[in-house]
Amino acid sequence: MDFGYSPQQEALRRDVRAFIAEHLTPEVVDEMEGASEGFGVGRSIARGPLVSQLFKKIGERGWLGISYPKEYGGQDGDRMSQYIVEEEFARVNIAVGLAGSGAPAILAAGTEEQKRYFIPKLISGEFSFALGFTEPQAGADLASLQCRAVREGDEYVINGQKMYTSAAHTATHIYLMARTNVDVPKHQGISIFLVPMDTPGITVRPLWTIQNQPRAPLGTTYGAYRTNETFFDDVRVSRTTLLGAENQGWGVGSMGLNLDRVGAARYLISVRRDEDIVNWVKEHRFGGYSPADDPAIRDKIAELWIEAQVCRLMTMRSMSIVEHGGNFTYEGSAEKVWSPEHGVRTSEAITQMLGPYGQLLNGSPRAVEKGIFAHNLMGAFQSGINHGSVQVMRDQVARRGLGLPSGRRPSGPRQ
Amino acid sequence: MDLLLTDEEKMLRHTAREFLEAECPTTLVREMETDAKGYPPLLWRKVAELGWQGMALPEKYGGQDLPLVYVGLILQEAGRALVPLPLHSTVAAALTIASEGTEAQRQAVLPAVAGGESVLTWAFTEEDPRFLSETIRTHAVGDGEHFVINGRKLFVDNFVAADQCLVACRTAPASQGLGGLSLFLVDTASPGLSQIPLVTLAKDKQSEVVFDNVRVSRSSLIGPLHHGGPIIERMLERATVLLCAQMLGATRKDAEMAIEYAKYRVAFGQPIGAFQSIQHLCADMIMWIDGGELLTYEALWKMDQGLRASVEVSQAKAFCNEKCEAVVRLSQMVHGGIGFMMEFDLHLWFRRVSAWTMRLGTSFEHRARIAHALIDSPGRVILGRSVPVEAEA
Repeated sequence: MDFGYSPQQEALRRDVRAFIAEHLTPEVVDEMEGASEGFGVGRSIARGPLVSQLFKKIGERGWLGISYPKEYGGQDGDRMSQYIVEEEFARVNIAVGLAGSGAPAILAAGTEEQKRYFIPKLISGEFSFALGFTEPQAGADLASLQCRAVREGDEYVINGQKMYTSAAHTATHIYLMARTNVDVPKHQGISIFLVPMDTPGITVRPLWTIQNQPRAPLGTTYGAYRTNETFFDDVRVSRTTLLGAENQGWGVGSMGLNLDRVGAARYLISVRRDEDIVNWVKEHRFGGYSPADDPAIRDKIAELWIEAQVCRLMTMRSMSIVEHGGNFTYEGSAEKVWSPEHGVRTSEAITQMLGPYGQLLNGSPRAVEKGIFAHNLMGAFQSGINHGSVQVMRDQVARRGLGLPSGRRPSGPRQ
Repeated sequence: MDLLLTDEEKMLRHTAREFLEAECPTTLVREMETDAKGYPPLLWRKVAELGWQGMALPEKYGGQDLPLVYVGLILQEAGRALVPLPLHSTVAAALTIASEGTEAQRQAVLPAVAGGESVLTWAFTEEDPRFLSETIRTHAVGDGEHFVINGRKLFVDNFVAADQCLVACRTAPASQGLGGLSLFLVDTASPGLSQIPLVTLAKDKQSEVVFDNVRVSRSSLIGPLHHGGPIIERMLERATVLLCAQMLGATRKDAEMAIEYAKYRVAFGQPIGAFQSIQHLCADMIMWIDGGELLTYEALWKMDQGLRASVEVSQAKAFCNEKCEAVVRLSQMVHGGIGFMMEFDLHLWFRRVSAWTMRLGTSFEHRARIAHALIDSPGRVILGRSVPVEAEA
């Protein structure tokens, strides 16, 4: 075992930090705050001219898509180097990684043509995907989804509704899971389509989140103020939009979700408040009172810090598994339980360290750090719900990891 | 960065596990609970042939010069099997002699340890049980070529089995920090030395040790006079992280027993392991053990690189104390009434893991150390970067 970074990786981290110190000017931050959709886990931050310019410079350094093959616009580099770059940028609220982009699944399951078409533009940021999984009646039990895609010659005709399609109003494409066969068990009749958002028949309607009015400051866990519902009304797409084989979409999607979770973004959304609260109590007082002197608070801070280290180490373990070929049994699911729940514990504990100041939202007089701790309380639990809830993840740890048997389940309505 | 075990590390673990499965049935564990010395000397010599006692000792003293991580892997297996051997106390003391002793001291002690002919232990804690140097009142006073030790030590592990004991003594008044402490290597058969056995949850061999004008020669001083504090601190850190490894090995086995039990115990027409309420308990158990293991391995790895690992050790112990206790309690829960029965083996693990959570620093003490490192020094903290560490306050 080796818990250290190589000298080259350390040098890369220094380079990225120096780049950020030089290029992340107050003007860039202002633009990000103005245009922010809140920091989720994907690349959904709308890009104004300064941020677009910044991304171009990041690309010129060779820091986008490091671990992707050169032929698809990547750098043929190692995954850990990509992680380091992702981590440094994520700490300043810039998502350079490809988590949530759909790229890992396309690389794993796409045709040669799809890989050449999508991946370079996903890396550069020219393309971005909204994720079309959840439906009004299909959340945790995603395989019950009802959005239909019916084959007609060389096309599919799609009808249905998707929920929480967060980036749908800015994305160029949607990664759509739809039912292509209703006569087989529910997991066996699902396919995935890579659908351009400008296809006729697609309607996007905003869903406002509890982070709206006032909007969460940058860096908030699930600080997005808007998500969407997306309607498909006789949407006709070419057969070439199919990712993987017809009716094999469940496997493709699960694999893609697993790959999408690995990386810095998911880890950091669960631990940034741990750093923030330590750094805050070191430097601030309420009048004459410093929470840093309270033994109960000190004990809690240390407890949370240890848990945050476990988040980091579980992420590093997942990275190690990826570097060894990506053969996860339960480790990814375990990380997806531990880290979000830790994020919630931290957010809640901080409310009890700040007391009444913990209520103050962004823009309020006397708000602590722009109200990020209050906004985080509203967002943190979302990371335990999205991308597979912690309950579903625990099922996976128990069944795949520990070999416990599947039990009787209440039978749901047939789609 | 590669957190997975190498093939060599896996092989070491596998070999140790196979050996202990053959050599250490639970009947032996039970038998040694009432044995006067608490361990079978024959098995002690057998594991010496495998090189366990000398694993991280220098080759010139019969050791193998392997990293501390390997010792951690062995202690995990020792914990898994609950092997009744004084391995933890011996290794912790021997490593201190190897790193801090004089050439003569090393020659005198280490080959016998590596050869399985000697058992060591160490004595730190006194009546005030806190994990702090200022609690040390046992004092050693110079008298010509000798020191005379008077005082009482508590919770001394394997004292009845040990040939020699490292004893933390006060040789100068407690002033700031670690000042005034010295470490002595004391023969357990010395005149004036006596022990009172303690009856423990683990039914292991711990003693209250009484020093009544115990004379030791000046050559038994390990490290510098009055400034033994940092040496003692490092010894306790190593002992702590190795105890974490031992706890985790035992806890994982305990959890595995619950998981296996849940697969065949039927209630309401199906194995209880098919109920999500049980599945989710089991998932948490494994997640916590993994977390403790990652923290422990990182601390061991840092020590192997020669880096300070005080914070990492405290992270591991505070986490293991609470999570290992929770795991063995949940395992009892999954087992139901049978786990409460003396004839069923589960309590062998439950009692030991619980006892180990109470030794070498409580969760509160370790968290206080972490909080001190995080909060009381200037500069911003970043997860994954070293936290500034000062000497103990």
